[in-house]
Amino acid sequence: MRIFRIVLLGGLLPAGTLFAQDATNLEDGRKVAGMCRTCHGLDGKARIPIAPHIGGEPVDYLISQLRAFKTGAREHEMMTVVASGLSDEQITKVATWFNHFTIEATLPTGKTEDDAPQLCVGCHGANGISELKDAPNLAGETNIYIETQLKAFRTGKRTHDIMSPIARDLTETEMQEASDWYSKITIAITDPTKK
Amino acid sequence: MTKRLLMASIALAISGTAHAQAPAPDNLEKLSNFQSTGTTEFTLIEQGGDYAEGIKKTLERIKLPDGFKIGLYAVVPDARHIAVGPQGVVTFVGTRKDKVWSVTDRNKDRVADEVKDFAPSLRFAIPNGPCFSPDGMLYIAEQNRVLTFPAAEFFYESPDVAAFNVVKQGDLIPPSEESYNHTARVCKIGPDGKLYISLGQPFNVAPENKLELYRKHGIGGIIRINTDGSDREVYTYGVRNSVGHDFHPETGELWWTDNQVDGMGDDIPPGEINHQTAAGQHFGHPWYGGGDVRTNEYAGQEVPYDVVMPAVETVAHAADLGMTFYTGKMFPEKYRNAIFSAQHGSWNRTTPVGARVMVTFIDADGNAAIEPFAEGWIDENGEYLGRPVDVAQLRDGSIIVSDDLAGALYRIWYEGN
Repeated sequence: MRIFRIVLLGGLLPAGTLFAQDATNLEDGRKVAGMCRTCHGLDGKARIPIAPHIGGEPVDYLISQLRAFKTGAREHEMMTVVASGLSDEQITKVATWFNHFTIEATLPTGKTEDDAPQLCVGCHGANGISELKDAPNLAGETNIYIETQLKAFRTGKRTHDIMSPIARDLTETEMQEASDWYSKITIAITDPTKK
Repeated sequence: MTKRLLMASIALAISGTAHAQAPAPDNLEKLSNFQSTGTTEFTLIEQGGDYAEGIKKTLERIKLPDGFKIGLYAVVPDARHIAVGPQGVVTFVGTRKDKVWSVTDRNKDRVADEVKDFAPSLRFAIPNGPCFSPDGMLYIAEQNRVLTFPAAEFFYESPDVAAFNVVKQGDLIPPSEESYNHTARVCKIGPDGKLYISLGQPFNVAPENKLELYRKHGIGGIIRINTDGSDREVYTYGVRNSVGHDFHPETGELWWTDNQVDGMGDDIPPGEINHQTAAGQHFGHPWYGGGDVRTNEYAGQEVPYDVVMPAVETVAHAADLGMTFYTGKMFPEKYRNAIFSAQHGSWNRTTPVGARVMVTFIDADGNAAIEPFAEGWIDENGEYLGRPVDVAQLRDGSIIVSDDLAGALYRIWYEGN
């Protein structure tokens, strides 16, 4: 049995240097995150299946999605309500807060990185930890959440230069297989400032 | 042997239904033809242990009226709506993920002994809403499909169960309108023997350009169909997102909860319990955001329908979800025909409200008054220790409450003083 464990320190991502994670910024971000915690958890580990895990998420991705909800480019009955009331500064701070967590992903017993959906691994990693600044982690998300997003890219409810064309060509089975792969990965989210 | 005989008799009884409907994909097709899928393994959920102890500790702080007790009934991950088997053998619990759980109390000590996934060879999608007919047919309303499982209380012990389409994949709503939130369907069999299914609309406030399509399909409404899927009609209009309904035990009229508009402030609009007295009534969404509060999006517009106002206004944003009329004999007489309902708890109110079980008393004139019944799932820091979703009655007259945050079923019983 081989278990892969990859640890990604959110704070070491390039964007981290733009938004210094000093104590004040983090504290401000934590306060904004009070309005996120019922669904996403204060540590970014989702409490409800319809919400993604955002602890340790790339900061650029978090900022771009919050802005998309705010402008209406991306719509969701809850997130549209939340993001419409956020200032750019609040968006940056809350993104910095959730980014500062460490996420650790563990593949299911008996699986190796070779089993991962090859179309996805370049950006989202075999273990669902993002390889890019503007791609989300997928590790441990509910499979139906991932499928819903793929369908949103396919129908044009969400648009993205890379994801829109990929989703357009996926079969239902391919969507289910990719979603199932990432949903079965176990995650642990920890706060590196509290050691 | 018994099982095979039963299989055969069911095959005879419903073969007309099965053949009348379009072929279903993958394993459903096999199960509809009483074939084996080769699936042999269940996912079993550990009962007891540290996790259960943590939940029991939370339950120590739950406040109930005098004489009532609460205890952990089962650990059930992501537990949503509940269907208690009419024979009292097994209880099915839906989720907003891909599993339905079967919960069995074998030794009848009123605590479940076994929790395992139901029909593990099937891939469910948001199977939030299970419900039973009085003759033991289990129905499961998913995101965009409704299945039926004859004699589910008998077959659930095997990984392969008899399963049939009532509404095949993609026919409950147009696939282009599928979403994840506001997609927790609930179902009940009405006194007319028809299947009633809620269809939440997927926006905060439904936009104008969708209204015609939604009205046609009953999205933002409650539909009813025959149990073979035929004669679909929209029974209820003007709903935002109803996730709980039940029929009054005496009048047979439909009562249902509704979740109201977000983003208008902490204290408006109110949540609702509605009382429907005729087919086709309109309850106000999207012109009304809850109670008589008009939505900003439709402010000043003339409301094109006669609107029925709620029977009960509940505290804003508390998220009233599952409900059941109490018909048992265990609780004191005043609870007979009262509504037990679950408030899931607010998600973005400054100070959280809800996360409790409510009781609504209805007088002879139909006037309804709501009050808290079980509360204490919000701690002193405003953190949720649990979020109740649905309430159902066991045959002994006690009630069980599902909680999708803790992942549990609780049982509430009456001991007297």
